[in-house]
Amino acid sequence: MTTDSLRVVVVDDEPLARAVVREYVAAHPGVEVVAECANGFEAVKAVSELSPDLMFLDVQMPKLSGFEVLELVGRSVPVIFTTAYDQYALNAFEVHAIDYLLKPFSAERFAEALARARERLAAREGMPVEALVDGIRTKQAPLERVLIRDGSKVHVLPIEKIDYVEAQDDYVAFHSDGKSYLKDQTLAAVERLLDPARFVRIHRSYLLNIERIARVELYAKDSRVAILRDGAKLPVSRAGYARLAKLL
Amino acid sequence: MHPILARGTRLALYLAVWTIIGLLLAALLAGPGGLAASQALAIALPIALAYAFFCLSAWYVARSTPIGPTGPVRLAATALTSSMISSAVWLAVARGWLEVFTRGSDLASGRVFLAVRPLIFGFGVLLYLLSLAISYVVAAFELSRQAERRGLEAQVHAREAELRSLRAQIDPHFLFNSLHSISALTTADPPAARRMCVLLGDFFRDSLALGSEDRITLGRELQLAERFLEIEQVRFGERLRVSVEVPVDGRVLLPPLLLQPLVENAVTHGVAHVLDGGLIAISSSVTDATLRIVVENPCDLDRPRRTGTGVGLSNVRARLRAVYGDDARVTSKEADGIWRVELTLPAERSQVAGRQEMRSTNAELPS
Repeated sequence: MTTDSLRVVVVDDEPLARAVVREYVAAHPGVEVVAECANGFEAVKAVSELSPDLMFLDVQMPKLSGFEVLELVGRSVPVIFTTAYDQYALNAFEVHAIDYLLKPFSAERFAEALARARERLAAREGMPVEALVDGIRTKQAPLERVLIRDGSKVHVLPIEKIDYVEAQDDYVAFHSDGKSYLKDQTLAAVERLLDPARFVRIHRSYLLNIERIARVELYAKDSRVAILRDGAKLPVSRAGYARLAKLL
Repeated sequence: MHPILARGTRLALYLAVWTIIGLLLAALLAGPGGLAASQALAIALPIALAYAFFCLSAWYVARSTPIGPTGPVRLAATALTSSMISSAVWLAVARGWLEVFTRGSDLASGRVFLAVRPLIFGFGVLLYLLSLAISYVVAAFELSRQAERRGLEAQVHAREAELRSLRAQIDPHFLFNSLHSISALTTADPPAARRMCVLLGDFFRDSLALGSEDRITLGRELQLAERFLEIEQVRFGERLRVSVEVPVDGRVLLPPLLLQPLVENAVTHGVAHVLDGGLIAISSSVTDATLRIVVENPCDLDRPRRTGTGVGLSNVRARLRAVYGDDARVTSKEADGIWRVELTLPAERSQVAGRQEMRSTNAELPS
């Protein structure tokens, strides 16, 4: 029985909104609420520890929005959004959400969403969520902050606090205040997301926040080095120097 | 821009009329003057068209001496002098054209021209006066049309402002979320669900009633804000705490719905984004001259602050400016994770000792 039961996580910052989902779920045998989360951090933790089959996810929450939770979870957790705002419906569709429930919603509408989720799970459709989230992001305004998942913990890094981004094998390292944070992403993808007026690709492996530059020195023939305000030195390629010169 | 030069079709029509005048002039030269028809036409048409452009100046004369402010004597004098000068200049131009046209040929046309000179002069004066009269008519017509358009624009603006303020008053998502809470309470806690329905009803009724008034007491404005917060407390539970510190002066008046949007912002842009929630503190102080209202709320420092922080604040700012001009101020700033908005406006007091206030406190008694 337990192998067949649908394990769901309910994410909403309002206790009463979670109560509605809990109550509706109780009417469906074989569906079990394994965790209730009041914010995005708890949701990320619950997903990584419990690997649920389905997540009911509010969009507007403190610190992390529902879409940011989805970006962090990355893995294919089927999601049903629950929100009072209809303007995110298109985004939800693009990240392959199973359904989009507008508050207040009825038990019938909820049952419909749940049935859709069961169908989807039975068909075992793979959902390349991460790529889709990235796809949406590039169409939007430049990123304002970077979210980095560290096990079940989440770091929120505002863009202005990033000194530079470095490519490291399959990862990128965000350097900020002497610390570095690893994220499973390519430097090219990061470059696409960041504001091109602020971050410049100075080298194949480095993306630099131009506000951090103290000066650029000639190092050898055709090769330069950027010296940051905190003294760090980064190589600057010829093409990188051309891009930098255009911005400064 | 001259109304006739402004559009090609108008200019074409105008020149067509002047061509007819030119034909009349040619008839004058050919009839009493006895010139050959072709010669009369060749002389009359160009000078008529030249005068057509000359008469366009009547528009500017009419504009510089509008009928209302200019006295009748000056008006007549201006009209007569300008038309006589124009006609004299026209005559000189006509004469010059004749010289060019008849150079080396017979002098008959010259004699004819001399004979009809007074006639042409009179003709020119009349035509210029006619242009002036038409210019006055057109100017009056444009003025009335402009006034009409301005009236319409003012109406549209007033309507838009009304709609905007209505939209700003009631965020539909506040209603959707409250209904969702009620939906949860109907099974979990039916009396609480009923209380929430009553609160919502009171809140909407009050905000509609207040919005249509010119000035309300601070007490009523505060009551509305407290109702709003009470509803939000049902949604947010312990995450939302409220403190109110407002002096009891029943006579202080202010334009309605100034505090309400600030409190709404404090919830939706403040407490709602903080994990553990926090305290919304409303305080106020009144001196003889000024009323100060302060709303403070915790905010999320990681969250990039959007410019302007919401429609609510700019709406409040615009309304205060409309009512008090430079005498009222809205300032907002963040310090140590606390967002603080301060309203400063001239203190107004009702003459009758707080009648409205008594009504609103009475309403509270039975509950």
